[in-house]
Amino acid sequence: MKKIAVLTVVAFCAAMMFSSLAFSARKTIIKIGINAPLTGDIPKVGEGSKYAAQMWLEDIEKAGGLDVGGKKYEVELVIEDNESKAESAVKANTKMITQDDVLAIVGPQSSKQAVPAGEVANKYKTVMISPWSTNPSTTLDRPYVFRGCFLDPFQGPVVANFITEEFGFTKAAVLYDVASDYPKGLAEVFKQAWEDKHGAGSVVAYESFTTKDTDFSSQLTKIVKSGAEVLFTPQYYNEVPLIVSQAKNLGWTGPIVGSDSWGSAETIELCGEDCYGLFFSSHYAAAGAKGATKAFIDRYEKTYGYIPDDVAALTWDALRLAQQAIQDAGKLTGKIEKDREAVRDALAQIKDFDGITGKMTFTEEGDPIKCAVIVRINHQGEYEFYGSSCP
Amino acid sequence: MGILQKFKQMFSTVPMLGWFLGILAAVLIEYFWGYDYISYYLGLPKIPVLFGALIMLKEPVMIPGALAYDLIVYVIPVLAVAKLTCFITNPGAALLEKLPLWLSAVIHLVCFYAILHLWAGINDYRVLVVKLTLVSIILTVSVNVINGYQGEFSCSHPGFMALGAYVSSILTLVLFTNDKIFGTALLPPALGPYLFPLVLVVGGAAAAIGSLAVAIPSFRTRGDYLAIISLAFMFIVKSAVENLNIIGGARGMGGQPDLAPLPVIFFWTMLCIWVIHNFVTSILGKALNTVRDDEAAAESMTVKTRKTKMTAFMFGAFWAGVAGGLFAHVLTYINPGMFSINRLAEILAMVYFGGLNSIVGSIVGAVSINVLGEALRPLELFKWIIIPLILIFVMIFRPYGLISFTEINAKKLLESKHKRQQGVSP
Repeated sequence: MKKIAVLTVVAFCAAMMFSSLAFSARKTIIKIGINAPLTGDIPKVGEGSKYAAQMWLEDIEKAGGLDVGGKKYEVELVIEDNESKAESAVKANTKMITQDDVLAIVGPQSSKQAVPAGEVANKYKTVMISPWSTNPSTTLDRPYVFRGCFLDPFQGPVVANFITEEFGFTKAAVLYDVASDYPKGLAEVFKQAWEDKHGAGSVVAYESFTTKDTDFSSQLTKIVKSGAEVLFTPQYYNEVPLIVSQAKNLGWTGPIVGSDSWGSAETIELCGEDCYGLFFSSHYAAAGAKGATKAFIDRYEKTYGYIPDDVAALTWDALRLAQQAIQDAGKLTGKIEKDREAVRDALAQIKDFDGITGKMTFTEEGDPIKCAVIVRINHQGEYEFYGSSCP
Repeated sequence: MGILQKFKQMFSTVPMLGWFLGILAAVLIEYFWGYDYISYYLGLPKIPVLFGALIMLKEPVMIPGALAYDLIVYVIPVLAVAKLTCFITNPGAALLEKLPLWLSAVIHLVCFYAILHLWAGINDYRVLVVKLTLVSIILTVSVNVINGYQGEFSCSHPGFMALGAYVSSILTLVLFTNDKIFGTALLPPALGPYLFPLVLVVGGAAAAIGSLAVAIPSFRTRGDYLAIISLAFMFIVKSAVENLNIIGGARGMGGQPDLAPLPVIFFWTMLCIWVIHNFVTSILGKALNTVRDDEAAAESMTVKTRKTKMTAFMFGAFWAGVAGGLFAHVLTYINPGMFSINRLAEILAMVYFGGLNSIVGSIVGAVSINVLGEALRPLELFKWIIIPLILIFVMIFRPYGLISFTEINAKKLLESKHKRQQGVSP
């Protein structure tokens, strides 16, 4: 019995050793990694990214594969959940790069995952495009990391200018989450821009809270008492409805202005009528869109039942950028390291890319030069284009 | 049942050294033939990680392939080689037995590390998972000192970890890297690997000093009260870091030099296990158990309860700080959000899953929660239903964890399995 077992193993090993080496040439498949927060604090963001990616794949499959240098390649998506945690995003990136051999990665969305994950992508020389991360250090000194959106230092002044021009206010209040990277950074940039315009002390209330707080009444009472004319709160969709409704209950009558983190489809669902008439800066506006943007929105809504938020649109653009770069690379050698490098060089060369969130050209750092949009939440609860501001 | 018994009996003659040899054979097979032949013939896209769990959950079509791969690469070679080499490994183990136990243990550990290194080296993702698992082992064992051996319910471990992570990161950033915040490197970066142990010890010491804030009130409080004090401590550390802009605040701190390769982490993990094992089996460790069981009785039996509690707290915190330092240098990025309530839940899950009052239990807990967390990754949301469910079942059927209040006898584990036969023949 034992002998038979041993013989089988030996025979098997021998067979494997002497089999033709030529067999090990595997088919080249283009794999694109998606690193998205499918669970955790902001699952809606992950869902939007996933859906946009699936739509993109559908298009590629309909065309029979991706055409690179006259040859059609099969495309596969590797979607990984980063649980909205930094170490999980690092693990997901490492897995996709070393195990799945992805050619490029799209994601992670939030800066707190994109910053450490970008380190991994850069270390392994793999292109990573973060569609939504606005923190400068995501792409700083990392030739392989790109992003699909504008940065906080651009967005802050846009909002400050808009409020000044639109309402003529001079006193502003800010309410932000001190424990979260994005709101904190943006709040600082906004304060700076506002004070540059209206002099020191023109931000009359600069109040903070901590992630997962749900009661903002003490901060909002201070803000109401401070005599501020406008409230700027760069929070995520799970906090915006609470802030807005609590502010109204405490007697706040002025406008409340937000940033691109408001753009989630969920904001209006949770907030309802309280949010009608408010403004925020964003990457694109769904209502009243034209051309390719409208086609994307209609198709997304038809398939998934709701209007896509900016994350979905940016993810779509990031994927199309990756696609463009792969096609521009000319040909795939099948050697993953070489191909990744070629894709990176092609991506850095892209000029005036016509995305659904605007035209993009990358700077040296891998940040796009593109316009910001001011969105108004109209009385049907839609995100309506109100104005735009270009660098 | 009969088959299992027979199976067990058949392999009862294999010493630890024999298993190592078997695993080595499996790893070598994977290393040389895994990609080009075995996974290729089985229709797998690449060598599956984590024994194919990921690929099986993602693409059910691959289940037979992945299982066959496991069988061919791991199960058959390990069993066959382990069994067939008994005739060499048993005398080998007997030879090692003549050496002092510590030397024999070190030799075994070196063999184990060599195999682990080879296995993990096949793929960098494995390296990362192994690294983070080893860091979790340090953390879990150190929590067990306080929550298991001392019998308190302390929630401040993420705080200690944060202290260690931040202090050691600041040190390495100041000393060995040209950083935007801290300026140019004070020492040549080449010194980094040599001074890194010192940096970790300083990080651990910072955590130990910080733990006094919990240890001193703990003289008077027990149970729920201590849990609340320690929870508060965790939040204090997190909020303090968030509001310190000099070290990055909520934005986090990145750019740490990569000073924690696998051998370094393995060494620290083994050191931690050894030191903590000696601590809990020392007189102080026994005193700790008496304090847990009955503080008043312990006091009357001349145990200095205050000193005992304080030492244990600082000791546990020290190792948490070391773990934090390693963690920061594995990820090369930290932010205060990492050391929050989520981390606490993870640490406590590992401790209570594995078992209280047992180092082996802690290792089992840390490894299983980490591997489960990685293996069930493709299930996305369902992962967060399955893992808690497993925890609930463990708590119902084994309230103190899988392996609690027991320790493995190292001597017995490493000994030659030919004893009985040798005893019979004159």
